[in-house]
Amino acid sequence: MTSAVTDPVRTPMRRRSKLAVRNTLLGWSFILPNFLGFAIITLVPVVTLFYIALTDFNVFGKGDFIGVGNFVKLVSDPLFQRSLLNTFYYSAMHVPLTIVVSLGLALLLNTKLRGVSFFRTAAFFPYITSIVAIALVWNLLFSPDAGPINEVLRFLGVANPPGWLTSQDWAMPAVVIISTWRDMGFYMILFLAGLQAVPRELYEAARVDGANVVQRFWNVTLPGLRPTMFLVTVLLTIASFKVFDLIIVLSPGGNAAPNQATVVLSQFIYQKGFVESKFGYASAGAVVLFFLCIVATIIQFLINKRRSA
Amino acid sequence: MVVTQLGGTPPVKSRRPLVGDRRPRTDRDSGGFARARRIVGSALLIVFALALLVPFFWMVASSLKGPNEVFSIPVRWLPETWHWEHYVELWTDTGMATWLRNTIILSTVVTFLQVLTGSFAAYGFAKVRFPGRDVLFLVYLGTIAVPWQSYMIPQYIMLAQAKLTNTLLALIVLQAFGAFGVFLMKQFFETIPEELSEAARIDGLSEYSIWARIMLPLSVPALAALALLTFVNTWNDYLGPLLYLRSKENWTVQLGLKNFIANNITADYSMLFTGLTISVIPIAVVFLLGQRFFIEGIATSGLKG
Amino acid sequence: MKRTIAPAIGLVVAASLTLAACGAQEPAEPEGPVTLTLSGWSLDTTPEFQVLADGFHDANPNVTVEVVEYDAAEYNTLLTADLGAGSGPDIITQKEVKFVPVFVDGEQLLDVSDVELPDGLGGVESYQVDGTQYAVPYRQDSWVLYYNKDIFDAAGVDYPDGSWTWDDYDDAAAELTTAEHFGTYEHRWQSTTQGFANAQWDGDIFSGDYSYFSDLYEQRLAREGAGYQIDFATSSANSPTYQGEFGTQHAAMLPMGTWYVATLIAQQASGEAQDFNWGFAPIPQRSESTTDNPVTFGDPTGFGINAAIPEEEVAAAKAFLAYAASADAASLLAGIGITPALTSDEVAEAYFAVDGAPTDDVSKFAWSTHDTKPENPTSGETAAVQSILGTMHTEILTKAKTLDQAIDDAAAAFSAL
Repeated sequence: MTSAVTDPVRTPMRRRSKLAVRNTLLGWSFILPNFLGFAIITLVPVVTLFYIALTDFNVFGKGDFIGVGNFVKLVSDPLFQRSLLNTFYYSAMHVPLTIVVSLGLALLLNTKLRGVSFFRTAAFFPYITSIVAIALVWNLLFSPDAGPINEVLRFLGVANPPGWLTSQDWAMPAVVIISTWRDMGFYMILFLAGLQAVPRELYEAARVDGANVVQRFWNVTLPGLRPTMFLVTVLLTIASFKVFDLIIVLSPGGNAAPNQATVVLSQFIYQKGFVESKFGYASAGAVVLFFLCIVATIIQFLINKRRSA
Repeated sequence: MVVTQLGGTPPVKSRRPLVGDRRPRTDRDSGGFARARRIVGSALLIVFALALLVPFFWMVASSLKGPNEVFSIPVRWLPETWHWEHYVELWTDTGMATWLRNTIILSTVVTFLQVLTGSFAAYGFAKVRFPGRDVLFLVYLGTIAVPWQSYMIPQYIMLAQAKLTNTLLALIVLQAFGAFGVFLMKQFFETIPEELSEAARIDGLSEYSIWARIMLPLSVPALAALALLTFVNTWNDYLGPLLYLRSKENWTVQLGLKNFIANNITADYSMLFTGLTISVIPIAVVFLLGQRFFIEGIATSGLKG
Repeated sequence: MKRTIAPAIGLVVAASLTLAACGAQEPAEPEGPVTLTLSGWSLDTTPEFQVLADGFHDANPNVTVEVVEYDAAEYNTLLTADLGAGSGPDIITQKEVKFVPVFVDGEQLLDVSDVELPDGLGGVESYQVDGTQYAVPYRQDSWVLYYNKDIFDAAGVDYPDGSWTWDDYDDAAAELTTAEHFGTYEHRWQSTTQGFANAQWDGDIFSGDYSYFSDLYEQRLAREGAGYQIDFATSSANSPTYQGEFGTQHAAMLPMGTWYVATLIAQQASGEAQDFNWGFAPIPQRSESTTDNPVTFGDPTGFGINAAIPEEEVAAAKAFLAYAASADAASLLAGIGITPALTSDEVAEAYFAVDGAPTDDVSKFAWSTHDTKPENPTSGETAAVQSILGTMHTEILTKAKTLDQAIDDAAAAFSAL
């Protein structure tokens, strides 16, 4: 047992580092299958993207290295500023609204009553419906003169109902509504799965303690949903920053020219990269988008970590 | 802390009564007032559900319209003449059978791989502490943050060098190793109490066995959710197949349908919607059947104070 | 660390792009038959590629041209991906003029200045960058005014005779509008108004001064306001097709490109469009002074040669380009309803001999006599400016901004470029 009699400081360290090595190998053995595919297929092109952002490449890779020139240009580009603003505006509305609606749906439909599966399926249908159909029907619903939505508004006494998708002020709210309608089924499923992990006994205990529905929600459901809430918030935020296809099909005229009211970052990137062939410049925009998402994610990560402590 | 669940058998899944079912019946549950509330509640739910389905109804109705009727002013909700033959024509006049076959293969393989590698990697992130874990996880998340169009060309060139273009394998490789699955499963694994794993470790189970025999069975809702969402996303993906699948025998449903329309002099959207309606059916079926997996109760029973 | 990674990655990218190019240049068989690949789209409904491929093969049995199909809507993106990966076609069809500078900048096109082109070939300048010819046009569409003769008769309005100005057009639209149909239909594309403004007002989109658009936009807003044509917002919401609107006699007139002739003939034959008498006339002019040579706009479609093509195939490829622009090819194309870049009496005869084509003199005049200005000037900045103008188009017609405000904002956006 002489080996055990060693420098008291050194023993824990050596054991700790041995443990760290063992854990590293163990952790990597789990991660490796997924990570290998991910690294080769996704990570390498993404890193390439970062390099391209420092050049003025056109889409064929011809151009020069210009360092941070693209980023300097971005700062003074009115279209970029507009898309950044619109992206924040869209996300600020879309994220809370979708969380509330999809969580509400999940709570409401988390029962085994008869007929509930019909409603759950109905909630999921917008997500699987073709985007062409979605764009057309919602364009009709939001039609300023003939659409049902404005007819209802007029019936309720609103004198000048908004122009929705054709107006500068109301186009983005209209897009947010449609987008939430479409996404809620997706996030509802994530919440439903998460709700199953909340232990039943806690509800029982709370009820025994005299907690009402609202109190049970705040003290049992929400804390139990924390990991799922983190998942949903991060995914939803990133998806909102990245929104693209819905904006395109809902732009009036369908000529894909950026509409000042709804142009977002992804559209800016597409416009500069594929329409104007300024690939380096577009990549710089993508890098900005990346950092926005990372910062938002890190903030949420830290909040999540603190809550779980 | 006494742990009553020992041994190599994983906890049994049991159907637990859900919140709301065991509330003692009060006066408010019976009588005319309650019935009225239920009726109004159901009516509202039905209206809400119908609102959700309106675009889908329009799509189905449009699939039965004649050419030049789909987009018209004023909008027509129902067809003038019902062209049921579209549903037959779709099978005979187009390559729908081939497209469906390709799409089923693609979606199934990608879903299987995503669920497998994703949950496997998630265990590493959730249950093993090693240096650099959090940073690596952030890198994963970071790649979700970049729009695919930004790097799809360099990625394409890379896969072309590997002679993978125009194959289903290219798409499988592209989509099977995503960060989404890892993220979803990691969050779910974190809700599983550490005590279960510890008990298993004491019993001599390796980490891999813990993953297979404890984590997975307890994560059925999350696995089901991941499988469904991956399946749907792969099924409906358009840009990926567009870029990589060039020959007709490789096309997926979305690609085949769009191409069929473009190749039609009249751009007959009614046939597009026929195809899209048919394409939605497998997903709806999978969803209806798979629903109970999301709502399965999990037993964390056996853990007493 | 970062400083060595960036150039390293750059090397990887450059290397893979170069490797791709090098790979394509491995020498193939020096003798024997040559096969050239050519990029096309919507092959089932766009027979022109195969027609040219077959015609060329008949004249040169040693050379086979294989048409490779691309998705029509994403043609340029897919083509770019393939060129980057080294699997692009030998002959690159130029679907849109605004991408030509992109290909030239990317060193993807061979210099074809030495290909002999016939006199009077339309659209040649669109394929010149810095004085060098990079592609050859085989097809040149232009915009004309389609009109429904039956509706005109019923309303007692005289057919357009080639001397119309935009005021005449307005008057006709007013008289032709009834409860059953609009006087005219103008599609949502920005070109339906801007193309004419650029051509007839000698507008320069690179001048930054867009006030020359006002006249046509004012007139269009007036027509939409009075109900003579569908307003832009409703059109955006309902997405009607121009083929549908004119083909189901929902509108009496339609300004559109000459490519629609073949489609309308086919649709009337299959019953998808209704049976009615129609013709087409020169587009309304700014003033009567240009009646003899009406001014309109249109872009050519042409063929370029992949810069990475093997040496031995260059001669055959250039021969194909020359063939595509020749009179023989023009007659073949006219016979399937395509408007070739080379027009002549012979070609016109072939075009109007097609079953179902209009046979009146005005149509023949409109088809063969026109001063066609390019829709898109060939420049690397065209795409960016067109986007700004597209935004302006939407803003004006959805009345999100006043006409003057939108024009000023467009000018501001241009100077910020």
